[in-house]
Amino acid sequence: MMEGDAAEKPDGVAFLLLLPTVILLLALFVGPVLYAFYLGLTNIALMGPTARHFHFTGMSNLHRLVHDSLFWKSLKLTAIFVAASAIVGVTVVGMALAVLIQHAVAWLRAAVGAIVVVAWMLPPLTAALIWYAFSTTGGTLSLLGGSQADVLNTFPMFVVCLANIWATAGFSMLVLSAGLRSVPTEVLEAGRMEGASRWRVFWSLTIPIIQPTIVTNILLVTLLSLANFSLIYIMTGGGPGNATNILPIYSYQQALVFGKLGYGALLGDVVVIIATIFAYLYVRVSRATRVAAA
Amino acid sequence: MLEHRRRLLCAAALAAAAMTVAGGTSRPAQAADKTVISCAYSETYVFDNEDLTKKWWGGIKADFEKMHPDVTVQLVPIQGGYDDIVNKLSLLYRSPATAPDIAQMATPTVDRFASSGYLLPLDKYLAKTDWWKKFPPVIQGEGAWQGKTYSVNTGENDSMLYYNVDLFKKAGLPVPWKPTSWNDILAAGRVIKAKLPGVVPIWILAGTGSGDNTVLMGVDTMLAGSSTPTIFDEKTQKWVVDSPGLREVFGFYHSVFSEGLGAKISDLFSTSGVTAPVFMIPKNQIAITFGSNFYGGNWSKLVSTPYWPQAAQVAAVVPVPTVNGKAPNISTTIGGWDLAISATTKHPDLAFELLDFMMNKENQINAANWAGFVPADTDYVKDPSFINFAAPYNELSAVVLPYGVIEPPSGDYLVWSRGAQEATGALAQHPNTTVDQAIGILSDYVKNQLDPSQTEVLK
Repeated sequence: MMEGDAAEKPDGVAFLLLLPTVILLLALFVGPVLYAFYLGLTNIALMGPTARHFHFTGMSNLHRLVHDSLFWKSLKLTAIFVAASAIVGVTVVGMALAVLIQHAVAWLRAAVGAIVVVAWMLPPLTAALIWYAFSTTGGTLSLLGGSQADVLNTFPMFVVCLANIWATAGFSMLVLSAGLRSVPTEVLEAGRMEGASRWRVFWSLTIPIIQPTIVTNILLVTLLSLANFSLIYIMTGGGPGNATNILPIYSYQQALVFGKLGYGALLGDVVVIIATIFAYLYVRVSRATRVAAA
Repeated sequence: MLEHRRRLLCAAALAAAAMTVAGGTSRPAQAADKTVISCAYSETYVFDNEDLTKKWWGGIKADFEKMHPDVTVQLVPIQGGYDDIVNKLSLLYRSPATAPDIAQMATPTVDRFASSGYLLPLDKYLAKTDWWKKFPPVIQGEGAWQGKTYSVNTGENDSMLYYNVDLFKKAGLPVPWKPTSWNDILAAGRVIKAKLPGVVPIWILAGTGSGDNTVLMGVDTMLAGSSTPTIFDEKTQKWVVDSPGLREVFGFYHSVFSEGLGAKISDLFSTSGVTAPVFMIPKNQIAITFGSNFYGGNWSKLVSTPYWPQAAQVAAVVPVPTVNGKAPNISTTIGGWDLAISATTKHPDLAFELLDFMMNKENQINAANWAGFVPADTDYVKDPSFINFAAPYNELSAVVLPYGVIEPPSGDYLVWSRGAQEATGALAQHPNTTVDQAIGILSDYVKNQLDPSQTEVLK
């Protein structure tokens, strides 16, 4: 109780020590983000008369955003990509790997763990090129089917989701493995002694116990996937026919291909807002977890 | 003791800061005495390979510095593709401290750099040169904005039709082949498909993988030879999203892909779609190619990507005909790379002297041969050192050049281009896509990105 009170009282020295961090955060993070929000409401262009002499255009860009059918499509594709690959794919695959590794023999555990973590540590460029070669015509995926099918261009969103799951599941596995190790064995043994099946024990005991870890993992993977520009850009460039044109790609296209920096900044701001909501949820869940643990 | 240590640390920090400031402001005596002219250029995109980039720009630097011992030519290479060069140059120009005295830029971007206030008008300098008046008017116009000239072309790319003589003979088609209309191309493609399964009958780029190059070498080239070649209507200041010409072009695409005459979409949609035929033609994988003039140079011994000594015997080349053979029966777009001088340069006269040196015959023909260009100077294109470097390709590229159409210089052209890429992508990927649907894709895209009021339909 006393410790808590002490922590809540403002301390001059602590404030002073935090000051450099606060200044750095304001200068290098909050400042640029606020400036990006301002740019999103201007007519700044990469080139042309408004490249240097741009000005505030009020709600003009927002009006365009609301009436931009490609933006709404892009938002929907972003939701599909994040939900399918991050929330469902990465979590399910990560959990499956974590459980399998927990029950595997030592050498298999080490080998699978190492391979999955290496996949996670690969630069996005490498992962994207591997999956491009794997899924395009002549790649292993199409040859496995004994045809010259172009899986990447036929099912573009499905393939980029798979690539994202492949590249991110290692992170998820590490987080969930730590969660599984924290489950008290006596609780699981008690369940078994009561006659519960392995599946029932997993579903009714393990999952509720590690629920905070799962939620944390989902939020972190969501944030990682939201910012995953390189993977899709290299594999499909947002195509074919805008089928994988998620918001970060659309923002890039507007700002650095069409040269409309203002509108591109506004699209980037939408990504920032979505990421902020997930980050806020993450902080809330983390705090709730700490309180529950205390 | 603690206080003493603090003072020592403070003194050390101050000394370090002072040294940094001193180091940041002082320059080697030799560099300070010399006038520096900076040149920004593409390191990896414009020339056929990086060695040739270094050879050309390194040669310019060495020769000019020998002629002017008091001058240092500072090279500022830019890595990456087309968009990367545009973006990097845009950033460099934002501050006079980083703006290059001379910059190499793509011709369609000159207008936008000039309207940004970044470029120096060159008219008074150009009037004194003997080479400027030999440029075809269409190429002189590429560097113009609001009545003034801001850049000088250093080489163009144009479009041509390549056909494989060996495959044509095997299929029983006449050689030499002289197509006079688009129907002639389709007819030859149908024979190839029937007689030589496994060979791509007609290579024409589609989709978004290669960006605007797809449109430049495909839709725009064909549109130039259609009934209505207009992309941007100067009179109404509107973008054409439906016209008889566009319907003729999309109709050709529809025939190619619905009849199975086109290439695989994995090849067409790839980012290397522009250069893929350079490797596929020597392997007898393509019969007819809507290609660019640079292919021939790539097959030369110097460039060797890949070296193909039999090129002249196997890969013949003809102009892309117009839709129905209307004289002069040549359809092509042109697009190249220019040199411009910064509006904030401290040494405009010296910068132009360097630009003038780059424009001499030897440097321009080297640039053309090493980057796969057609020189803009009408005398240089007749020189044997250019014609023989990649015969017969260089000679024909010079013949079609004056008929070239340039893409609209407005930044919004890239929106129209993207719409056309998506329309051709749909035609290639879904062969049952109709011409009406392709027009709808282009029209919807441009209307959504710009505004319906900025588009029009030509009858």
